[in-house]
Amino acid sequence: MTVRPMTGQAFFVLTALADGPRHGYGIVGEVAGLSGGRVKLKIGGLYGVLDRLAAEGLIEPDREEAHDGRLRRYYRLTRDGRRALAEEAELRAATARVVRARLGLAGAEAAG
Amino acid sequence: MSSDLERRYRRVLRLLPGWYRAQWEEDMVAAFLDGWLTGDPEADEYITRAAGPGWAEAASVAGLAARLYLGGASTPRRYFAWGQAIRRTVLAVTLVQATRGLDVLVRTAWSRQVFGWLPAPPAGIAPGSPGGILPPTVWYLVAYAWIVSFVLLVLRHYRAAQVIAALAIVPDLVWLVQGQLTGALPPTSFGPWAFWVLINLAPVLGMAAFHRDAPPVPRWPWLLALPVNYLLVAVPLLALQVTGHSAWLPDFSGVYCILVALACLAHAPRAWSRQADGSGVWSLTLTLLAANAGAYRIFSLTDYLHDPHLIKVGLAELLILVAAVALVAPDAARSQAAAPAPPLYPHPG
Repeated sequence: MTVRPMTGQAFFVLTALADGPRHGYGIVGEVAGLSGGRVKLKIGGLYGVLDRLAAEGLIEPDREEAHDGRLRRYYRLTRDGRRALAEEAELRAATARVVRARLGLAGAEAAG
Repeated sequence: MSSDLERRYRRVLRLLPGWYRAQWEEDMVAAFLDGWLTGDPEADEYITRAAGPGWAEAASVAGLAARLYLGGASTPRRYFAWGQAIRRTVLAVTLVQATRGLDVLVRTAWSRQVFGWLPAPPAGIAPGSPGGILPPTVWYLVAYAWIVSFVLLVLRHYRAAQVIAALAIVPDLVWLVQGQLTGALPPTSFGPWAFWVLINLAPVLGMAAFHRDAPPVPRWPWLLALPVNYLLVAVPLLALQVTGHSAWLPDFSGVYCILVALACLAHAPRAWSRQADGSGVWSLTLTLLAANAGAYRIFSLTDYLHDPHLIKVGLAELLILVAAVALVAPDAARSQAAAPAPPLYPHPG
């Protein structure tokens, strides 16, 4: 079976859920914070990612809470989601190490 | 009570399929309103009256809707069948374009005697250029670009394939506009415009169906289809031309109709057996191709208004196409019978 690479948006959404469940707009805010404002998810984009991650079994609904007359649905990582995120983080870290080495930044990092 | 802001956003969400809205709409509305409302009643009252989903927000919903309607593996059967049929139709039309490109490549090579083992090139073998303000080199590049686009599509470089195909249809549009403005194109001739819309633009737009959730294209069958299609279709047509039997040659639209009709006939036994797995999506694909070929045949008949014989030939081709597609159309209709949306995951309980 072909393993599909994780998109940047999916990576950020999973990371936003790594330390606990969040509702839709909470994820948008967390992703913006994690990415230093570079990734600004629109709601259509967010739910495109959420439904895909849910279908792949990487996230699941946690609970619903009433807020100002509306129900907020919270999402959490599944065990598979946690594992997939850890693997992706390791892959990205390994890639970053190679890039830094090729740019001659590895020594600076070690010295720093 | 819903606010104006909420109503405006729900209106945008109507772009999404009903089964998806049933599952996600309330959540999306809540997330959207969370992004706008401040908790200060005075400010919120102003916001709900004045604000609305911007273009970027609407575009993100439209993008999601396109992905869902041109279904991937996790969408309901009807959307998946349509998505697959559109993807295969796009591949087939792009294959036709790539075969034309290969034909230009071979004719060019032969006319320049690149193949030493072939006899001297007959007169008229070199591919012609439609003229206009663009140099012949552009038309060669356009033809080859379709080969590249087709191969990239099959190799799953979807966006690169779409960009190249989009660039490849620009010269045709320039030629059409120039012809219309200068009067080189008769005002009653709709064939060239129909070609541009149905054979050039439609596959470029249809390439949007190749999204992340779409099942991967089976590489080898489609890659082999290019040389096979060239050998079985373009070479016999070339042979008729070089042996001086050009009068026997149908025009491009006629060839397209006959090929689709033959494909329908070949597929009909599977479509009628009902047991054949996945035959319905192919039936739907062939129905879409027949609609494309039929529409082009009808519009291109306007190029022959001066010749009743050619009109009769064109109508006969159309009749053959309609008769052939009637054999697979019932199976195509069955393939998209709506099935209930599969739950993506259980509701929190």
